[in-house]
Amino acid sequence: MSECKKCRGHMLEALYGELEPAERDRYERHRRACPACAAEYAALAETLGLMDQRRRPDPGQEFWDGYWDRLSRRMVWEATAEGRRPSTARGAIGRLFAGLPRWSYQVAGAAALVLVGVLIGSRLVGPRNPAPMTNAAAAGPSAAVVQAGDFIDRSQVLLLGMVNYDPAKEDAYGFDLAGKKAVSHDLAAAAPALREKLNQPGERRLRDLVADLEVILMQIANLESGQDLDGVELIKQGVDSRGLILKIDLARMSRAAAARGPVKKSQA
Amino acid sequence: MDPKDESAIIEGLTRGDPKAFRELVERYKKKVYYLALDMAGNSVDAEDISQEVFLKVFRSFSTFRQGAKLGSWLYRVTYNASIDHLRRKGAAPEPVGDEVLEALARTEPGLARRGACDPGAGLEASQLQARVARALEKVSPQEKAVFCLRHYEEYSLKDIAATLGLSVGAVKSYLFRAARKLQRELGTSALLSHGDTP
Repeated sequence: MSECKKCRGHMLEALYGELEPAERDRYERHRRACPACAAEYAALAETLGLMDQRRRPDPGQEFWDGYWDRLSRRMVWEATAEGRRPSTARGAIGRLFAGLPRWSYQVAGAAALVLVGVLIGSRLVGPRNPAPMTNAAAAGPSAAVVQAGDFIDRSQVLLLGMVNYDPAKEDAYGFDLAGKKAVSHDLAAAAPALREKLNQPGERRLRDLVADLEVILMQIANLESGQDLDGVELIKQGVDSRGLILKIDLARMSRAAAARGPVKKSQA
Repeated sequence: MDPKDESAIIEGLTRGDPKAFRELVERYKKKVYYLALDMAGNSVDAEDISQEVFLKVFRSFSTFRQGAKLGSWLYRVTYNASIDHLRRKGAAPEPVGDEVLEALARTEPGLARRGACDPGAGLEASQLQARVARALEKVSPQEKAVFCLRHYEEYSLKDIAATLGLSVGAVKSYLFRAARKLQRELGTSALLSHGDTP
């Protein structure tokens, strides 16, 4: 019976042809000599034979052809949702304002922008006796921040070109999708290394913005050749829903503030 | 897949090349989808899981160990994503529905042809598909992954162990348990009294 137990342990390997020659010979000898093990082997072989009949349902060519588009949409959606992912309080606030028309959000966004400008301005135009510069502040922005600034500026030019494009009014050839795809490709390729470099505590927002832009840039780089107007529309929605242009503006203001020197605070 | 192509994709992904990412998706979408389908048991979850896999790859390709096989790594990510997905749902895979069985019948042109000449044979074939699909539902996700990789993808036990991050002993054990459960469900286990553990 102990030989039976050993053989049972090897039965599946035998069926799948995974036994070493010596083990296989031993197994076969036992199987020929033991009717119970032989019957068990046959029963298991029958099971596996039935499982061979299994066919996985093919979702069809249309499913496969549209796979990339659906994945792209989800990537844009996830990038969009990430920033709005939900605390309970935020959900409640969201429900509270759910009935407001779209223009009210735009007005609120503009007001927020003015407020941010005022705040930055009030910090810049502070009292006369500024605190002494720290070494870090005196050294100015890091190379990664400068590089990120360039990356963001180039992305903004590209995204504005996409967002402002109206196929009903503009010439498709003037739009130069191929050129935009090429630039997006280069920018998206540079993004991972840039994100790695933005590793200082104060650079998190900049890093997040680069990550958001990377997703959109990748979508643009992978638009279909020719005039993929559906794809362009998708990109526009992604840029709009993510508030990317606003974020870029805020990042620029923040950089401008940093470039002018340390924050001036009233001395206690 | 040609190893040259694979290393070109890996190189591209390391550089952050968007085209390499699309190439990866186009090359592996079917493999990832079908393993997810094996694990989840329905096409909606399978697509959802497969998309999660590619999103994870996009976000964290840096965790890919250079020198590893891209396909094996993707299977591992798929396996983990499927287990997470099933845990989140907090339930066993949904029972195979009629639409799946209809899809199965469409998938197998031979079955349809045989069915056209001999309705009895067509019915028998779809009943067999249903039996097999339902038997597989009784197998745990881990056992199912091991069984499907061995039986349908023809991975060796060692490769399965490396892909799923398990020991070869654990893989054998999962495979054995899967086979036993399938035997019981398919009614081919007349001799279970002879012993039930490897």
